[in-house]
Amino acid sequence: MTTTMSTFTGEGRRTGAPVVSFEHVSKSFGEVRAVADLDLELYPGETVALLGPNGAGKSSTLDLLLGLRTPDAGRVELFGTTPQQAIARGKVGAMLQSGGLMEDVKVRELVKLACDLHPRAYPLEQVLEQADLTEIADRMVNKLSGGQEQRVRFALATAGANELVVLDEPTTGMDVTARQAFWSVMRQQAREGRAILFATHYLEEADAIADRVIVLHRGRVLADGSAAEIKAKAGARRIVFDLDGHIGEAALRELPFLSSLEISGRTVRIQSHDADATVHALYGLGLYPRNLEVAGLGLEQAFIAITDAATAEEAAR
Amino acid sequence: MNTLIKLEIVRTLRNKKFMFFSVLYPAALYLLIAGGASTTEVVKGTHLTLPLLMMVSMASFGAITAVLMGNSERIAKEREKGWVRQLRLTALPGRGYVTAKVASAAVVSLPSILVVFAVAAAVKNVRMDAAWQWFALTGAIWAGSIVFAALGVAVGYLATGDAVRPITMIIYFGLSILGGLWMPTSTFPKWLQDIAEWVPTHAYAALGQAIEQGNAPHMKDVSILVAYLVLFAGAAAWLYRKDTRKA
Repeated sequence: MTTTMSTFTGEGRRTGAPVVSFEHVSKSFGEVRAVADLDLELYPGETVALLGPNGAGKSSTLDLLLGLRTPDAGRVELFGTTPQQAIARGKVGAMLQSGGLMEDVKVRELVKLACDLHPRAYPLEQVLEQADLTEIADRMVNKLSGGQEQRVRFALATAGANELVVLDEPTTGMDVTARQAFWSVMRQQAREGRAILFATHYLEEADAIADRVIVLHRGRVLADGSAAEIKAKAGARRIVFDLDGHIGEAALRELPFLSSLEISGRTVRIQSHDADATVHALYGLGLYPRNLEVAGLGLEQAFIAITDAATAEEAAR
Repeated sequence: MNTLIKLEIVRTLRNKKFMFFSVLYPAALYLLIAGGASTTEVVKGTHLTLPLLMMVSMASFGAITAVLMGNSERIAKEREKGWVRQLRLTALPGRGYVTAKVASAAVVSLPSILVVFAVAAAVKNVRMDAAWQWFALTGAIWAGSIVFAALGVAVGYLATGDAVRPITMIIYFGLSILGGLWMPTSTFPKWLQDIAEWVPTHAYAALGQAIEQGNAPHMKDVSILVAYLVLFAGAAAWLYRKDTRKA
């Protein structure tokens, strides 16, 4: 399971030079290999979700990408230059979990600082409005709630016209409304041709927003493709139907590509590696399934399946 | 970058506790040391009185207090909270952060110098031969404090968390005593005097002493201070860029 999906069929927008490029990048902290021989390219206009269990190397990867750490081996390039240079040119906006805020200043003053430091800044009022900070613009930064702080970080990351926006767990601490507003701004930014890379724990966010999903596991890319492809890679699909009359459980167990079978009352639930073949064989048994539903696994279930399989494989080695 | 400098100054002024302590403490210490001294008796080897000598020493000491303590602890705290990390993701150049920190420290050190002067003139009736000496002293002590502001930035980068305060204290008292801000270096043994001559605080105190005697500061002392400024500011900017710890 260490081979990665090389073809990306998301939105087919891989145009131009890569925005981000990792070439054989490795980084260790003592004995722990946080990033292991990582190859990765991001293109303009892509919205990419970075997924992985805790300790998969997400934060290390983002730190390397932003030049906050230097790789032990390999090369990280942003817009064809070093991360530091790309940042100095105002091409990158970033929102880090570990990013603190200046104290003893007002929200407006801090956001104005970000605007003034950006070579292609948006007007201050617009940045405040977009991050939903207008009403609390005169509050002191150190008196804000967690969600409000997160909105300030968002404003700092989007104070100017960046070409790449990097977000680490961006919606943590936000309520549902703030979360929706946040993603609608991000979608707008993506439409304007920006590349957006975000790490998240909320798999439904990755499913709904990203047109490309990268699954990291122990510092390696385990899967790379659209959310649909990731789900397909996990293999299983779910088949549910009702049967009238006698249900021959033994016969159902003989169906091809079956990975699990569950019968409760008249309802049969099956997980299959090849739903088409399984359903075909079902009719071949002479049965007449009613209310037949075939559905993919959720991204979350797919994610768990993929990472569990990788862990099992490593353990077996 | 100007916005950052302005913002650093504004937030320093907002920190009332810190301002109060930094501005009034040197003047209080001055009264404690020079309060009982004779206003006419001349200190041996000079033609100056103790209240005048101590005024310059305490103004220098107070300026160092304000810039060194203020910078190192606040910077270490900002690093821990991740603000510096956030700032590194902006287009701000490395020297911008150091410049802003030094500038905001200078805003605190100027009033601390002026208050010592005012107290000395009012309470101990300190007078100087010419009016220019007051201005020159203010300028020299203020400008010299920039060297220690840069040192404060560097220390704030070198140390983390609980270690900042003791490290700052050691540097602060070590330099103050060794440089002769508390007692004249002429009371030191010869070998210690030889070392003290190259300590930045000694050169710093010497600036003020030259002016209070009606002379221009020695080029050697000015050169020593400039060399230390380059060293400290360079170290601070380098440490800022290199700092990759999350802490």
